[in-house]
Amino acid sequence: MLQHGDSFFPSGAVSFSWGIEALGADGKISKADDVARFVRQQLKGRWATSDRPVLCAAHAAGGDLDSVLTADRLMEANSLAAEQREGSKRMGAALLNIHARLETRGAKDYQARLRAGAAPGHVAAVQGFLWHALGLDADSACHVAAHGLAVNLLGAALRLGIIGHVDSQVILGNLHATIADILSVPPAPLHELHAYAPAADIAMMRHETQDSRLFYN
Amino acid sequence: MTKPAHARAPSSARVGIGGPVGAGKTALIERLLPLLAARGFSLAVVTNDLVTKEDAERLQRGGLIAPERVVGVEAGACPHTVIREDPTLNIEAADLLEAKFAPLDLIVIESGGDNLASTFSLDLVDYWLFVIDVAGGDDIPRKKGPGIVQADLLIINKVDLAPHVGVDVAAMQRDAEAVRGGKPVILTDCRAGIGLDQVVARLAHDVLMAE
Ligand SMILES: Nc1nc2c(ncn2[C@@H]2O[C@H](COP(=O)(O)OP(=O)(O)OP(=O)(O)O)[C@@H](O)[C@H]2O)c(=O)[nH]1
Ligand SMILES: [Mg+2]
Repeated sequence: MLQHGDSFFPSGAVSFSWGIEALGADGKISKADDVARFVRQQLKGRWATSDRPVLCAAHAAGGDLDSVLTADRLMEANSLAAEQREGSKRMGAALLNIHARLETRGAKDYQARLRAGAAPGHVAAVQGFLWHALGLDADSACHVAAHGLAVNLLGAALRLGIIGHVDSQVILGNLHATIADILSVPPAPLHELHAYAPAADIAMMRHETQDSRLFYN
Repeated sequence: MTKPAHARAPSSARVGIGGPVGAGKTALIERLLPLLAARGFSLAVVTNDLVTKEDAERLQRGGLIAPERVVGVEAGACPHTVIREDPTLNIEAADLLEAKFAPLDLIVIESGGDNLASTFSLDLVDYWLFVIDVAGGDDIPRKKGPGIVQADLLIINKVDLAPHVGVDVAAMQRDAEAVRGGKPVILTDCRAGIGLDQVVARLAHDVLMAE
């Protein structure tokens, strides 16, 4: 669990800001409080209500890749902003790539489906079945994913010069309660998948055409 | 450069090009593309642009290679990370190019502008070049950064500028050779096209096993 939750694990996450770069450029995220609010909103308004159910369903699939695909496709249908959707798939493909090389069970098979255009490969679906294959229980897998997203977002804010290394740890510490809160109730069923993070969605849509960009989204 | 069998099994060679911002990495690629194509090699390029998509777009518009054979990977302000600790997106990009344009002989991966400490993961590339330029100062090789010391091939570019910046190119080359334990150093001028045949010969010999 430590290995897969650590930012030392090569997951491709550093290339994604999930809207922070554009919101920072617009001055809408300019200080630690803004970052804390944004990350909390991403966790509660998007991850909890859409990534988590997909991750849990893919985990519960118990290695049955057709069931993984069902959850994966629902994620595709529920991702509105192109940079959010494509970013999630690029991270999924990157994670599959490293696990295919590590020979994690199912990775090569699912990667073949992606390459054939037969599966979208959203990161939540990929995490769910890979971490199941590695023996993580569903709750641990959710913790790893939520923590990973928080670290990914804070790292982006830090590299954009919006927060410092102390702030980022303060915020991360405070987010543990948010994550615990989210995970204290069972995940929503797949048919209730939804996300509400309009500021981030719009920022990512605008980011697509911005000239100066360090991040994919 | 032996690797576990499962680590990689692509047919193409993968070559990294690193070096400080502005040293001439893209200029070198622009020079190499036609020379390598003329030898019949099938090529593709991955760029890691730092703040824009400029290098990817420059190559796509340049007419030296089919635009769809060039992809840009954003580095998220971590040019070193994406070629070393976490090259997964670059590997995925190269794998996709490989799948799309098979059989490819060579995929060139341009790093997003580094400092002297950068190195490429050997899970990402088979061979890597480090490009510095004379205008950066003739003391650069003596500083012995990992890029200078470990790269398979060191390029000292912009030799045309040496007289203007008061740099003794021969001494710079000697210093570089001294810290590289016999690994090659080639002087280039990408503006006038000098030294590039030597670079191509090296790549053909060391990487593409063509002669
Ligand atoms: N005089 C001279 N200029 C050169 C030479 N090679 C490149 N340049 C110029 O140096 C500048 C930077 O070249 P690039 O090829 O963009 O450098 P780069 O290493 O790709 O830069 P980044 O990708 O931004 O890190 C451009 O203006 C080139 O025209 C050379 O051999 N001589
Ligand atoms: Mg360049």
